[in-house]
Amino acid sequence: MNPVESLIIFSLIVASLTVIFLPRKGLLAKWKHTIRSTERVLIEDALKHLYDREYNQLGCTLQSIAGNLEINSDKATNLVERLEKLGLINSKDGKLSLTPKGRSYALRVIRVHRLWEKYLSEKTGVPEIDWHDKAEWKEHELTPEQADDLAASIGNPLFDPHGDPIPTSDGRIPRKEGVPLSSLKEGNAARIIHIEDEPKAVYAQLLALDLHLGSQIIMIENTRERIKFESDGDEKVLAPIFAANVTVKLFERKTDVQKNFITLSNLKVGEKGTVLKISNALRGQERRRLMDFGIVPGAEIAVEMKSPSGDPTAYLIRDAIIAFRKNQSDHIFIKK
Amino acid sequence: MTNRNQILELANKFRWGLGGNLHDALMESIFKEASDIAHKVVITKNEKGAFSFDKKLDKIVTNRWTGFPIMFILLAIVFWLTVQGANYPSNVLSNLLVGELPHILKNFALSINLPHWVAGLFIDGGYLAMAWVISVMLPPMAIFFPLFTLLEDFGYLPRVAFNMDNLFRKAGAHGKQALTMSMGFGCNAAGVVAARIIDSPRERLIAIITNNFSLCNGRWPTQILIATIFIGGLVPAQIAGLVSAGAVVGVAVFGVFLSLVTSWGLSRTVLKGEASTFNLELPPYRPPRILQTLYTSLMDRTLIVLWRAVVFAFPAGLVIWLISNLTVGDVSLADYFINWTNPFALFIGLNGIILLAYVVAIPANEIVIPTILMLTVVHFGLTGVGAGAGVMFDTSSIDATKQLLEVGGWTVLTGVNLMIFTLLHNPCSTTLFTIYKETGSLKWTVFSAIYPIIMGFTLCFLVAQVWRIF
Repeated sequence: MNPVESLIIFSLIVASLTVIFLPRKGLLAKWKHTIRSTERVLIEDALKHLYDREYNQLGCTLQSIAGNLEINSDKATNLVERLEKLGLINSKDGKLSLTPKGRSYALRVIRVHRLWEKYLSEKTGVPEIDWHDKAEWKEHELTPEQADDLAASIGNPLFDPHGDPIPTSDGRIPRKEGVPLSSLKEGNAARIIHIEDEPKAVYAQLLALDLHLGSQIIMIENTRERIKFESDGDEKVLAPIFAANVTVKLFERKTDVQKNFITLSNLKVGEKGTVLKISNALRGQERRRLMDFGIVPGAEIAVEMKSPSGDPTAYLIRDAIIAFRKNQSDHIFIKK
Repeated sequence: MTNRNQILELANKFRWGLGGNLHDALMESIFKEASDIAHKVVITKNEKGAFSFDKKLDKIVTNRWTGFPIMFILLAIVFWLTVQGANYPSNVLSNLLVGELPHILKNFALSINLPHWVAGLFIDGGYLAMAWVISVMLPPMAIFFPLFTLLEDFGYLPRVAFNMDNLFRKAGAHGKQALTMSMGFGCNAAGVVAARIIDSPRERLIAIITNNFSLCNGRWPTQILIATIFIGGLVPAQIAGLVSAGAVVGVAVFGVFLSLVTSWGLSRTVLKGEASTFNLELPPYRPPRILQTLYTSLMDRTLIVLWRAVVFAFPAGLVIWLISNLTVGDVSLADYFINWTNPFALFIGLNGIILLAYVVAIPANEIVIPTILMLTVVHFGLTGVGAGAGVMFDTSSIDATKQLLEVGGWTVLTGVNLMIFTLLHNPCSTTLFTIYKETGSLKWTVFSAIYPIIMGFTLCFLVAQVWRIF
C-alpha cells in the first residue's frame, strides 16, 4: 500500500474511534444515555422533582416537570397521568402534589442519590462537579437493601457532601435549616452548611471560588450588584444570584468566630504555627491520612524545607518530617 | 417498650444535630488526650546534635542548584557500576552455562542413549533458554539492586522523590514514581513490586501500569546491539560508538517521556475515579547496614532470577524448540507463523521473525536476539552458521550478526522499529504475573499488556510510513 494512502486511512480510523468512544459526547455515550431513559427513570425523576419543590415550599406544575426532565409537554402530560393512576401524586387545579406513597418513593430515590454522592466523595477520586451526574444514574439502580449496605460501608452518614440531609431508610428527614448567603448583612459571621449542586454552571463557579461546607463567612459588602465577603480569611466576590445557592448558618456565639487565620502554604521556611482546621476540600482518604500524621486542631507544625522546584514542602510535625503538596497546604488553616 | 422507643427517637433527633464532622472531632480529642499523656510521662533528651547533621545534609541534597546534579551523578554511578561490574561475571556465566554445559549434557545424553528429540527439547530448548536468562540477568540484578537498597537504607531515595515530585505531580503521578521507574530500569517486575511504597491508590496503579516504559535489564542488550549495527553503521566509524550509545539513551529517555505522558492521560481518563492522596515521609538519615543489605538483597534477587528462569524461561525454551522442529507437511510451525504474519509485519516496518521472537519471548525478553538469529538461519535455510533448528545461538562478532540480519532482509528501518518495539510491547510474563498479584485485578493486568502493544504497533506503523515517503 502507498504510505500516504495508509496514513490517510489511519487518520480516518482514529477519527471514527474518537467519534464513537469520546466520553459524554461520543456515539457510545449517547447510545447508553438513550437506552437508560426508561419509564422507571422518568417516574422516579418526576417524583424527585416534586419532592424537591415541596421541600423548598414551592409549587409544582406540569411545565416545571417538563422543564426539569427535559421532555416535551405531551410526554409530560402522559407521565403525570401515569403517576396519578399509580396513586403517587394528586392533581388539583393544575397544581401537583405528592401522595404519602409518592413521597416515600421519592425519599427512597433521594436516599440512594445522596448516599452515592457521599460514597463518591469519600471513597473515590471523582471530581466534585461529576458527583451529581453519576448519582443521577445510580439512584435508579440500587434496591433499598443495597442502599442500606452502601450506607453501612461508609459509616451511615447523615449528610451528603453538599450538606443535604440523607433520608433514613424509614423515610425521615430533618427540616431545612439556615439562610441563603445573599441574605447576610454586613458584619454578619456564619458557616456554610449547604452548597447547591444544580445548575451545574453555578456550582462550577462556586467550586472555582473554593467555597466548601464548614467555610467561615464574614460579610463585607452586600449590594444589589455584588456580594463581597471573606471566606476562611480570603476575600471573595459573587453575584447575588449565585450567592443564593449557598446556605449558611449564623454563629450563635461571637467566640465561635475565628480571626486572623492563614493557610499552611503561607508559612515560610523556618516559621511555625498551630493547626486550626482542615478545610472540607480535603476529604476521604486524603483527609484521614493527614489526620493520621497528627494534623488535627491544636497540633504544632513547622516548615522544614521546600523542594528545589517549590512544591512540595516538608513540614516538621510531631517529630517527623513529612512533605505535602501546595494543593493540600492551601487547605490547612493555621494560626501563627 | 415505649420507653426504649422514646430513647431511640430522642437519639435519632440528636444525631441530626451532630453535623458531618463527628469523626474529625473524635480524632482531635484522641490526639489531644494522647499528647497530654505523652507530655506528662515522656522525657525527651536533647537530640539537637543528630538532627542538625540531617538538616545540613538535607540542605545540600534538596538545594535548588546542587540537588539535581547530585541525584543524576549518583544514579549514573549506580548504572555505570552495574554495566561495568556485570560484564565479567556475565561472560564467565555465559561461557560456562551456555557454552560448556550443553556439550557435557549432550554427551551425557548420547552415552545413555536418550532419544534425539528428548535431548533436543530439554537441553537445546528448555535448558538453554534458562541458562541464557540466568547469565544475562543475574549479574546486573545482583549489582543494581543492592546498590539501590543501600541508597534507600541510608535515607536518600525519599529525597529524590521529594526533588522530583513537582514534575510527577504535573503528570498526575506521585514523586515516588521516580523511584519505581529507576527500579524498572533493573527489572520491571521489581519496579511493580516497589510501587507498594506509594500509598495512594490512583498513583500506585499509574506507577504499576507505566513501569513497562522503563527499559529493563533484559531489553538493554537488544537495544545496544541493534543500535550498534544499524544506527552506528550510518555514521563514520570514529563517532559510531558515541552515536549508537546516544540512540540507546535516547530510547530510554523516550520511554521516560512516554511514561509521564501515559501517567498524565491515565490520571485524567480511566483512572480519574480512583482515590488519590499525597504524603511523603522524609525519614532521618542513618548509616546503611551494608552487609545485611548485601546479603538479603542478593539472596532475594538471586532467588527471583532463578525462580523466573525455571518457571518462565524453561517452558519458553521448550516452545522455541518445538515450533522450529514440529512440522506440518514439511513446513515448521515457526515458518507457518512467519509467513502468515509477514505481510502485516513488513507493512509496519518489522518482520514475521521479530513478531514470532516476541511471542515466544514473552516469558523472558533476554532471549529475543538469540531467537531471532536462530529463526533467521532456519527460515532462510542458511548453512554454515547457527547450531540447528530450535537451538538459540549468538554469533561470534557484531559483523557476523549484521551480515546474518541483512540476509534476513533487515534495513535501517527494521533496526529503528525493532528498537521502538523493544521499548513498546507487552511486559514479560513475570511482570504481568506480578502486576496481577499486586493489583489483584485482571482488568488492569490485561490493560497493562495490551496498551503498550497498541502503542508499539501504531508508532512502528507511523515511522514506517513516514520513512517510505522520504
